[in-house]
Amino acid sequence: MATHAKPEKVEKKPHPLAGQELQGSDIVMQVLADEGVDTIFGYSGGAILPTYDGVFRYNESHPDKKIRLVVPANEQGAGFMAAGYARSTGKVGVLIVTSGPGATNCVTPIRDSAADSVPVVMISGQVARASIGTDAFQEAPVFNIMSSAAKHTFLVTDENELEETIRSAFHIARSGRPGPVVIDIPKDVQNSHVKFKGEGLLHFRGYNDRMRQLHEMQITDKIASRFFRLLENSSRPLVYAGGGVICSGAAETLRTFIERYQLPCVTTLMGIGSIDTQHDLSMRMLGMHGTAFANYAVQDCDFFISIGARFDDRVTSDIKAFLANAKIAHIDIDASEHGKVKIADWGFHGDVRKTLEELMEHGKDFNKDFSPWVRHCQELRKNYPMDFNRETADLMPEYVLEELNKLIQGEAIVATGVGQHQMWAAQYIDVKEPRAFLTSGSMGTMGFGLPASIGAQTANPDRMVIDIDGDGSMRMNIGELETAVTYNIPVKVLMLNNNADGMVLQWQDLFYEKRYSGTEKNWHTKDFVKHAQADGFKFARRVEKKEDLHAALEAFIAFKDGPAFLEVAVAHSHVYPMIAPGKSYAQMLTGPFIKAREEVGDIDVSNTNAF
Amino acid sequence: MRHIISCFVENHPGVLARVAGLFSARGFNIDSLNVGTTIDPTVSRMTIVSTGDDQVISQIIKQLEKLIDVIEVRDLTQDEHVERELLLIKIECNKENRREVIELADIFRAKIVDCGPESMVIEVVGAGGKVNGFFNLLQNYRILQITRTGRVALPRAAATSAPQSTAYGVTKDQHSESEDQV
Repeated sequence: MATHAKPEKVEKKPHPLAGQELQGSDIVMQVLADEGVDTIFGYSGGAILPTYDGVFRYNESHPDKKIRLVVPANEQGAGFMAAGYARSTGKVGVLIVTSGPGATNCVTPIRDSAADSVPVVMISGQVARASIGTDAFQEAPVFNIMSSAAKHTFLVTDENELEETIRSAFHIARSGRPGPVVIDIPKDVQNSHVKFKGEGLLHFRGYNDRMRQLHEMQITDKIASRFFRLLENSSRPLVYAGGGVICSGAAETLRTFIERYQLPCVTTLMGIGSIDTQHDLSMRMLGMHGTAFANYAVQDCDFFISIGARFDDRVTSDIKAFLANAKIAHIDIDASEHGKVKIADWGFHGDVRKTLEELMEHGKDFNKDFSPWVRHCQELRKNYPMDFNRETADLMPEYVLEELNKLIQGEAIVATGVGQHQMWAAQYIDVKEPRAFLTSGSMGTMGFGLPASIGAQTANPDRMVIDIDGDGSMRMNIGELETAVTYNIPVKVLMLNNNADGMVLQWQDLFYEKRYSGTEKNWHTKDFVKHAQADGFKFARRVEKKEDLHAALEAFIAFKDGPAFLEVAVAHSHVYPMIAPGKSYAQMLTGPFIKAREEVGDIDVSNTNAF
Repeated sequence: MRHIISCFVENHPGVLARVAGLFSARGFNIDSLNVGTTIDPTVSRMTIVSTGDDQVISQIIKQLEKLIDVIEVRDLTQDEHVERELLLIKIECNKENRREVIELADIFRAKIVDCGPESMVIEVVGAGGKVNGFFNLLQNYRILQITRTGRVALPRAAATSAPQSTAYGVTKDQHSESEDQV
């Protein structure tokens, strides 16, 4: 029930600039600085000129706490850099772009960030208020366009609300289920002069109430006892951890939870890093291209505990068959995820970390021996491991990632593009901690990897950041190779080149009788190494033979003098396991090299409308 | 099943577009949508009529509640409520059949709001069934133009299933009129 919420009163010293008259663009910069922003990604242009002037003047007057500006080749790159920054730190990523094309180039990263719950604030210039709606030069209806893509969108029509709007954007981006917020600022608002207040938020009665209710949600005895009764009645409980565990900062809590009750744990693609992939209870990723052992565990479980995950179609496949005989518990911060896909037997609408902590508090005395089930899962993991064609002299993509994994041993932050290489990275790369596996999960945006890795490296200058990419994804935002060199951002770009859009081609192999419409690139003549060299990469190599791989990877990892580019010419391969779209877990195809528990036989996948 | 959803929103520009966009993006039906201010000028009430099973309606409510500008969403269908729609209809009608049309209008307690030598504009107010009934009856005439407001609704004074504390959330008008029945 909504009540009129009063702005929260916090006793603190007034802002040193409070009461001063400032230019709009300086207000933008001041609020960004107050919010702890240390890096801005973005591209200037006519309608955002005053704010870019503000960046220059802010840095001139604050030589000791400059805000770094990284200018990409294309605004989409800035969007994914901000997302990579946010995904790898949990802090809000910031991008500033101009009106019209500058803003519309960001639709993809903004939608991508909304779909993967990434806190990003985008500021775009807009034509002056008097020109809005006249089809002015570089005008686009950013408010309308972004309203369909972002968590929330503002068009600042009153300069007196500028500072509250920017502050509120950060608040909205961070709170609840995180997401991107867009602020469209007309040029004359950036140029206006208003009194700076130094505090205050816009007032959203409903949202503020809902956030407060969320924080006040508590696991009562009754709610907890229903959960533990389900657990008590289960003999094969399985935890299903999603990106919500990472958003909530609950990885440590999740580990305690599964260790305390001895619960094996599968993760979604977004949940990779919520539990160390090498943990005894980790069953790695489930779903369409999940590991065979994870998917067998899903088939075998009788109680499925969903934590910050949303039963995506890449997880459930045939929704009727999915968990047909298991009980379901569902913890999620987003009320709309409850009952959206599956009706749970026990559900709780709340923050993951707080919910798990409270559950454990109530379940202090709960003890049930799940060791036969844990042993069963560990045997699944041992008996049905990932595998591929090891005998061939061809350079297999899975082999490349297995070798890379041996060298980095979970110590790097890994970003990926989208496609086969993304799935192999999810299957073969070990990830020890949250925010170390950055991938476009829901939207599946090719071209995500390179700019996201640049953003992550900017935020984590002391970490090794590797972009595992494909040739198709690399082409999408290849301009950002130059950005890495220009700003000396030492990302390592490993590109698996199979001269194709491999994942789409795999579907054409399986479902379209090998009619490779638009996916083969054998006649393309691009020399990626020359491209990287032209952009100034001091390390740019290509590997074509299996026997050359190890040394090249070692040199690539060891290279310290700026960004490094390694192209590996790989053979065609199919990603397995695969649960074909619309098929059930029982019909999982494990391919020619992964051991299957039972013969599945031929599955008719020729006529599927499932996506 | 048909549901009437009352959605209170911050009276900001662009909110209607966002709500309408949510319905189209997620494939929800809108049978009708009506927007007006409440007694608090900073709050608007949207009355949305939509059709769907319980899961769909629950999703509509939860997705609406995710919008930052949405203050409160209530499904009025579950509780006692009054609902009305207004239909203006212009039909071809002359002195030959005018009497007959007036009689029909009387039966439905519809009002003749304009009359010319060749046409007549009739206003009918009521819940969906009555408006549709009247409209169907007039199919025998040549209908020149129609316009409908879409449904508006308020919970009845007796409906106390949810606490109603906000100024905009409860009608101050305690007058409870009985629904017109034909």
